Formats: sequence, C-alpha cells, structure tokens
Amino acid sequence: MLTRRTLLACGLAAPWFPLRAATNFDGVTEDEFVLGTSAAFSGPSRGLGIELYRGAMAYFEHVNRAGGIGGRRIRQKIYDDGYQPDPAVTNSTTLMLDDDVFLLFGYVGTPTVTRVLPLLKKFQDRDMYLFFPFTGAAPQREPPYGDFAFNLRASYGQETAGLVDNFVAVGRRRIGVFYQADAYGRSGWAGVRKALARHGEQIVGEATYERGTKFTSVMRDQVNILKAANPEAVICIGSYAACAAFARDAVDMGLSDVPLANLSFVGSENMLKLLSEGRDDAERYTALLVNSQVVPSYEDVSIPAVQEYRDFMARYNPEVPAELVTEEYTPFPHSFVSLEGFLDAKLMVEILRRLGDNPSRKGLEQAVFTIQDFDIGIGEMVSFGPERRQGLQGVYYTVVDQGRFVTLDDWEKRFANVG
Amino acid sequence: MSADPVVPDIKVKKLFRKTVFGVFMLFGAIGLSTSILNVYTVDTHLSEEYISNSKGIAKTIADASVDILLNRDLAALQSLIDQFLEIQGIRYIYIANETGEFIAHTFVPGIPEEILEGDPLSTETVERSLPGLGDFVEVGSPILAGVAGTVRVGMDRGLIALKIQRAIGQQMWLFVVVGAVGVFAAIWLVNLAAKPMARLMAFAVSLARDDEPANAELLDRDDEVGQLARLFRHFANQRSSGDP
Repeated sequence: MLTRRTLLACGLAAPWFPLRAATNFDGVTEDEFVLGTSAAFSGPSRGLGIELYRGAMAYFEHVNRAGGIGGRRIRQKIYDDGYQPDPAVTNSTTLMLDDDVFLLFGYVGTPTVTRVLPLLKKFQDRDMYLFFPFTGAAPQREPPYGDFAFNLRASYGQETAGLVDNFVAVGRRRIGVFYQADAYGRSGWAGVRKALARHGEQIVGEATYERGTKFTSVMRDQVNILKAANPEAVICIGSYAACAAFARDAVDMGLSDVPLANLSFVGSENMLKLLSEGRDDAERYTALLVNSQVVPSYEDVSIPAVQEYRDFMARYNPEVPAELVTEEYTPFPHSFVSLEGFLDAKLMVEILRRLGDNPSRKGLEQAVFTIQDFDIGIGEMVSFGPERRQGLQGVYYTVVDQGRFVTLDDWEKRFANVG
Repeated sequence: MSADPVVPDIKVKKLFRKTVFGVFMLFGAIGLSTSILNVYTVDTHLSEEYISNSKGIAKTIADASVDILLNRDLAALQSLIDQFLEIQGIRYIYIANETGEFIAHTFVPGIPEEILEGDPLSTETVERSLPGLGDFVEVGSPILAGVAGTVRVGMDRGLIALKIQRAIGQQMWLFVVVGAVGVFAAIWLVNLAAKPMARLMAFAVSLARDDEPANAELLDRDDEVGQLARLFRHFANQRSSGDP
C-alpha cells in the first residue's frame, strides 16, 4: 500500500536521487550526502520545524548551488512527526534502516529526541549520529546517550540558569514555573529548580499543560495556581501556542506586573504574532515578556553570520516541500529559529567538508573533534571534543519593543522589583 | 329454550395474568440477584487485578528509575513515566525523591491538593477521590528500597465502574430476551391449556340449559377434560331423571 509517507519520500527524492546500490550506500554517493530529518511540520508547533528547516536550507542551497562539498550536494530526507514521540521513533527507524541516511540532522523537540536516542544506541554499530537537534535538554548531552549526539545550541540548563540569575539579581526571587507536561517541560523545570537552589530558593508554584495545546485553549486554571503562589516572575517552558495562551490569560486575570520568561524553544516570533495579531492593545500582553535565545538577534547586522543569514534568506527564500505542507503557515522573513537552523547547517557543512574525499560515517566523530575554535560568525568560537559535545554556550535575552524582539541590555531598568 | 352458550373467559385471563406475573417475578428475582452477584464479583476481581497490575507497573518504573535518578536526568525520568500513561486505566504517575519532593509527575494543570497534602513516600495502597478527576486506586513502590524515593501510580476506578456497567448491561439484555421468550411461551401454554377449558365450560353451560350439548366431541377425549365432560353429562342425566 502506498502510504502518504512513502509518497512523500518518493516525491522528495525524485528530482535528484540516483538509483543506488543495495549495499555500501551509507547515505553518501559520489553526488550527494543524504541527511535524515524528523521534525514538526504539522500541529501547533509546526512553526518550529518549518523555520528550522528554512534556515538550514538557506545555507545548504547556497552550498549546493556552489557545487556542493567535493561535488556532493546535500539533500535532506524529511518526515513529519508533528512533535509527537511515537512518529519520531517510527520516522527515525525508517531513516536509519530503510533510507540508510548518512546522519540525522535538524530534529525538533525534547519529547521526540529523548525517545529517539535509545535507537541511536541500539544501532550504534552503524555509526549513526544525531546532529544539532533543536532542544536544550540534558539526555543528548549526558550519558548514556550523549555519545550519539552533537549539539550546537546552549542547554536549557544554561538558559534557565541565566534567567533565574538575572531575575534574582533584580530582586525577583519568588519564581514560579509554567511548563509542558513532558520531558521538555521537566528539563526546563529541573534547570529552574537547580538554579534557584544555588540562590537558596525553591520554585514557589508550578502549573502544567498538555503538549499540543493550542492558542485557543483556556489557561485560567494554570494562572490561578500560579497567582496563588504570588510569584515575582514566571518562567515558561513550553511551545509558542501554549505560552501565548498563558500570557494572554495571565494578563487578563491580573498577573500583569509579573515578567513572563520563555526559553528559546518557544519560537518567539510565532508567540509574538499570536499575542499581537488583530489587537490594538498588544503591548499590554507583550510588555513583560523576556525570551532567552541561543543565537544573537537577527536584527544585529553587525554580526557577520547574521548578515550572511539575512543575505541567503533573501536570496533563496527556502520553502518547505509542498508534500509536507498540510496546514496553513506563513513563514517569517527572519526568526531566531531559522537563524539557528542556518548556523546548524553552516557547521554541518564544515564537518562534512572535513571528512575529505572519501566520507564515511566512521569518520564522522573524528571530523567533529577537529572543530576547534571554529569561527561560525557570531563572535563565539565553536569547539568539540570527546568531553565537549555542545558547540556554543552563549545565551541572549530579548524583550518586545515596538512589536519586535530586541536584545535586552538592562535587566535592572526593565524588570527591577520595586515592590 | 335455546341460546348461545356464554363462555366466561374471565377466569382464563386471570390465569394468564398470574402466569405472566409469575414469569416476570421469577426473571426479576433472578436478574436482581445475579446482577448483585456480578457487580460484586466483577468489582472485586477487577479491583484486585488493577491493584496487582498497578503494583507491577509501579515496581517496573521504580526499577527503571534508579539509573536515571542517579544520573539526575529528570527529562528522561519524565519521558519514562509518560510512556506508562498510555496503558489503559493509568491516569497519573508521580515520583518523589527521598526528601518527599515531587520530581516528576503527569498532572495537568497541577498536582492536586489532596496529593500535595499526602505522604508521597508511602507505599501503601489507598483509594483517592480527586475533585474534577475522579476516583482512583493509588499504589506505591519504593525506588532503591526507598532511599532514592517512591513511585506512585493512580488507576482510574471509573474504568472499573464502566466495565461493571457494561457487564450488567449485557446481562440485562440477555434477561430481556429470555424474559420476552418466556412471556410468549407462557401465553402460548396458557392458551393451549385454556381452550379445552373454555370448550368444557360451554359444554357444561349447554347441559345446564338443557340445550343440545355443545362440543359433544369432548366426551370422546380420554384426558381430564373428557372425564369432566362425562361427569357433567352424568350429573345432567341424573337431574333429568329426577334421581336424588
């Protein structure tokens, strides 16, 4: 039976996919590298998968048009998992066993990646690695699965620690947590708890929501739980639809003087769009948002990689393959997520380049370890090693100003607790 | 004097009503008693099975949690318990560390007050009623003999009630069908018995009126109806001859 996924895979493969021999393929031919991706292209978090893909494709497209890497083009074999663990596992199994891709790249989400990691361990004899997943969770950074993944972005632990430290520094020590009831939420919750413990504090209140919650959902119960804890700041660990719904209800229910912090995974532009679209009083809902990011602002064109990103996005304007578009989505010209995808792709290309003329999966790990003080173009050098499987450490903070996210320069001025 | 014999069938109807009433009462009594027995049996067996399964699941989670807890990887721990939520009947799971702090749970929008106020390190089996969530049987299992914390699993008692309702519902259908067949059978049997009686009644009335005996063929029957017909004719003949 022809499934939608089969048709999709065939459709994506058709333009350039040469007939391959049944053996010794390993995801690389004389003409191309095949990277396998399972990410959210449908559902309430589809904006994350789409933006990450667009950013990565902007760079891959540039490389491909310039002749590829040693004559090999880069192709992504993509499946949609809708940000759900079971499809992510199924897709990954297909990518590894049936499609025999060279490596896994550009995954989205903690609950999905957390479930895929054991597969990598199971098939470790295939030397399959997961590169630069869009999640800051701990499982792919620590034993027993840390050896099978390479991360570029800072961890949720670093993001939450930065947020807690800054809130405490401006006198906001009573911190509550609103989080997704799954591995992602728990990862952020654990980061907040650990950071607060360093300051001798505890989480004062916590509320959860189910993964897949839409912006139209009501978050009054969650707001009431957190209001009862009387927090001075709330750190949200969720996706844009749920976090925007929470911010909306929090403001409407009188939690309007409490900063609402969000992690990079939230997808800031999508969140801002939901809170602003069709509202004259959007500032009321966005004034106290502070979002941590793991890449610098895409508005800062003084940063070489940002300039390059904006140039490539404008030049190639990557679009998601039509077969993956099942729900309406209007992409952003620029976003933090697509910039992250762009940087992921840039480093991926450098690693593939370092594999030399006879690339193989067996050489991948060593190729990654040759990345030492590599300038990716954002002012922070990237290094990897056997004990260092995360390339970047930087965390940036942004707030909404005049309808867009800009870098937060002064926490004291913006969020000082004068109460 | 000649007149149509009037057959007083009211007594036959009485007989019919009593028979049907008796059938209904019998089936009602059987239905009620077996339903009560069924509810008790299904409830007891399912509850025991659920508690046993829950304990097994709690122990499985507790055993699998040891390495994860020692690695301090709470995301992996959450991922683990989320998978068990897919099992039918399990409504919530929570894990407390050795200090009683809730370090992973599946509650939305938050941990209920009743559970926050309870002892998260207990391994006792308790029944809980959580407002807005339902009634649960909650079991516990220690992690690393309790020194690393406790896993507690809540099984939905609503599912047991649903299964009981289904079992009783199916049983009621069976009784309705069997009852309907019984009533029709009773009607048929009563009619079968009532017809010769009615004809005998007509025969007796015709004798009493000195009319031409109706249903004279009854005299040829060799059953109780035939004997009664012959007895009635004997009494009628005695009356006609003036014998005392």
